[in-house]
Amino acid sequence: MNPVITAWTAVSPFGLDRESFADGLRAGQPAALSDGAVHKTARVPGFDVRALLGPKGTRSMDRLVGLAVWTVGRLTAARPAERGDRTGLVLGTMGSVQSTMDFTRSSFVEAKPYFVDPGRMPNSLTNSAAGQSAIKHGLTGPNVTVAGGRAAGISALGYAVRLLRTGRASSVLAGAVEEYSDARSWVESHSGVHGVLGEGCVVLRVEPAGEHPALAEVLAVRSRFARGDDFEGAMRSCVDTALAAAGLAESDVTTVSWSGVPGHTDAVAELIGDTGAATSMFQIAGVLATGAPGDVAVIGSADRDGAVACAVLRLGGAR
Amino acid sequence: MSSRVVVTGLGVVSSIGIGRDEFADALRAGRSGARPITVFDTEGFEHTLGCEVAGFDPRPWIHRVDPAELGRASGFSIAASRMAVADAGLTEDDLRARRGLICIGTTDGESYDLDQLVEIEVNHGPEAMDPVQARRSTATRLTAGVAHDLDLSDVEAITVATACSAGNYAIGNGFDAVRTGEAEYALVGGADAMCRKTFAGFYRLGTVAPDCCRPFDSERKGILTGEGAGVLVLEPMESALRRGAPIYAEVLGYALNCDAKHPVAPDRESIKECIELALRNAGVEPHEVDLISAHGTGTPANDVTETGAIRDVYGAKTPPTVSFKSMLGHTMGAASALAAIACGLGITHRFIPPTINHRETDPECAVDCVPNQARDAELKIVQNNGMAFGGNNAVVVLGRFDEEVAR
Repeated sequence: MNPVITAWTAVSPFGLDRESFADGLRAGQPAALSDGAVHKTARVPGFDVRALLGPKGTRSMDRLVGLAVWTVGRLTAARPAERGDRTGLVLGTMGSVQSTMDFTRSSFVEAKPYFVDPGRMPNSLTNSAAGQSAIKHGLTGPNVTVAGGRAAGISALGYAVRLLRTGRASSVLAGAVEEYSDARSWVESHSGVHGVLGEGCVVLRVEPAGEHPALAEVLAVRSRFARGDDFEGAMRSCVDTALAAAGLAESDVTTVSWSGVPGHTDAVAELIGDTGAATSMFQIAGVLATGAPGDVAVIGSADRDGAVACAVLRLGGAR
Repeated sequence: MSSRVVVTGLGVVSSIGIGRDEFADALRAGRSGARPITVFDTEGFEHTLGCEVAGFDPRPWIHRVDPAELGRASGFSIAASRMAVADAGLTEDDLRARRGLICIGTTDGESYDLDQLVEIEVNHGPEAMDPVQARRSTATRLTAGVAHDLDLSDVEAITVATACSAGNYAIGNGFDAVRTGEAEYALVGGADAMCRKTFAGFYRLGTVAPDCCRPFDSERKGILTGEGAGVLVLEPMESALRRGAPIYAEVLGYALNCDAKHPVAPDRESIKECIELALRNAGVEPHEVDLISAHGTGTPANDVTETGAIRDVYGAKTPPTVSFKSMLGHTMGAASALAAIACGLGITHRFIPPTINHRETDPECAVDCVPNQARDAELKIVQNNGMAFGGNNAVVVLGRFDEEVAR
């Protein structure tokens, strides 16, 4: 039995909930650009960590961690975790480049090189978003941070499926998060990445089929590596093996969604900007938001560093 | 569908030795990697020792990737992976003919480069950042570099960034992928390069020792930061036997859990639960365990909490419990991978590497830490602990491989 997605939510440049994300995709107009940033950006409107999460435990919380904690909380509000119930969390992220660089900056500019804020040290580590989300929402199962670019979301979904198959988790919240920050925009622009930078977080609940109504069945998740920058070829092989694993032919596929693959546009990114490590999770959210029961969707994503991943979903759950 | 998973190759970049043999000799001799830090400017810090990988040039191990495009941690990662593959007697063609997984764990990724970008920004503004350093600053390079350099395409390349237990996460992920048949081999481990950011952070937290790391000692003062990489080749028992490969150990099982309580303080109850889950997953009873490789950072808090959790599981019959961080420093994401390799070498060469720098055991964390001198021992089952900020616990159980005895 394949695992299923039973719930999802998205915090995006279209707004704080999945309805606004779905509405934005259907309307097909790009999200509004934000003021005050160094480069062109579409931020999540109205996202203020303390206003949304309250003063408790948020003094040192950066935007990236706040986005993750808030979004994970939308799903756990509907079904809270209980201590010891093996609810896992797998999060794709590159961490907050801003927090990491700010921390080092204090070491360079303060009177002593160790005059750094100890309360902010965890933010300078990539696993802070997953760790803080676990603390806020009592998630004591496997807690995994997958460092990745665009493909991180599909990698996180694949990791979640593996944890379920091996019985290491009873249910997994699989997500991906990215923030806009000036530090990120500088590092990205020096790396040759231009265009609108987006941000946000998507979280899915993935679990064994049966107990809860399924929004989609996860038929297969596969990955490859682009040899000699042959992203197209790697993606083709990746999709072929995923469809074979799902027992499907190419003609069964009703919906495709790509990112980072030459010759294919990323329809979601055209509306919400380049959401970095959250890119492929937003593709999955896009399929869930706009698809119809029975649809078979192939979602593929290629990281510029070479990793290629794809997922095959059937909407409406197992037949 | 479930296959036994064995360790057939070891690759090591460490402050006490490069490669399997040097590392094994250093472990037996109880060598210390502590030396003055040179990779970043330590002016203004009163204590400036670290376990730096000194005088190591990764270039001889790098065949395809332009070394200028690699950060320090990626260089370690590729070198250790190449060593592990060669040690396992595998060629690039062998790997290309199989479906694989590359999973490298890390705390800081290429933060060494990010530190330098910050220094440029502070002195000359953000417009002056170096594009080469910007491009190579992503943690994905730690695994992507390995796949590129080995020229592999049928491979899942994934970087796990669960801080200081990430090496054990990677081993666990590889174990599951090989055991379920999703991968026919796995290159798993951890890599990190020392950086100013993390040194300053631990320093500010008061956890950097002035002289050396003394785990379980009543006068322990904390960690020395370290660096390096450890990579293991995992494969199904059947393919290892067919190839006549060396088998250092069998991966018997592992467990992950999360404290979900505090961002930095470890939790005794949760660590206990993780150990119990790992032993159960491995099909092992506590009395069968011959050695525990502790997370053993040598900070006052960690050692009390961790040995407390160990005693909660093992009671009065706690097996010898050592900390390799006494020799290697805290190599962050590489720590539990290097520790797993040390366990594999101990199993193979029948000895327990010592906890060095030890003078007097703290009664608050009273364990037989095999002080200062290696000890000959028949190790059948070894438990390897990894803990991290964020409450990310990961415990791996390794065993001496015996074809006749399946668990």
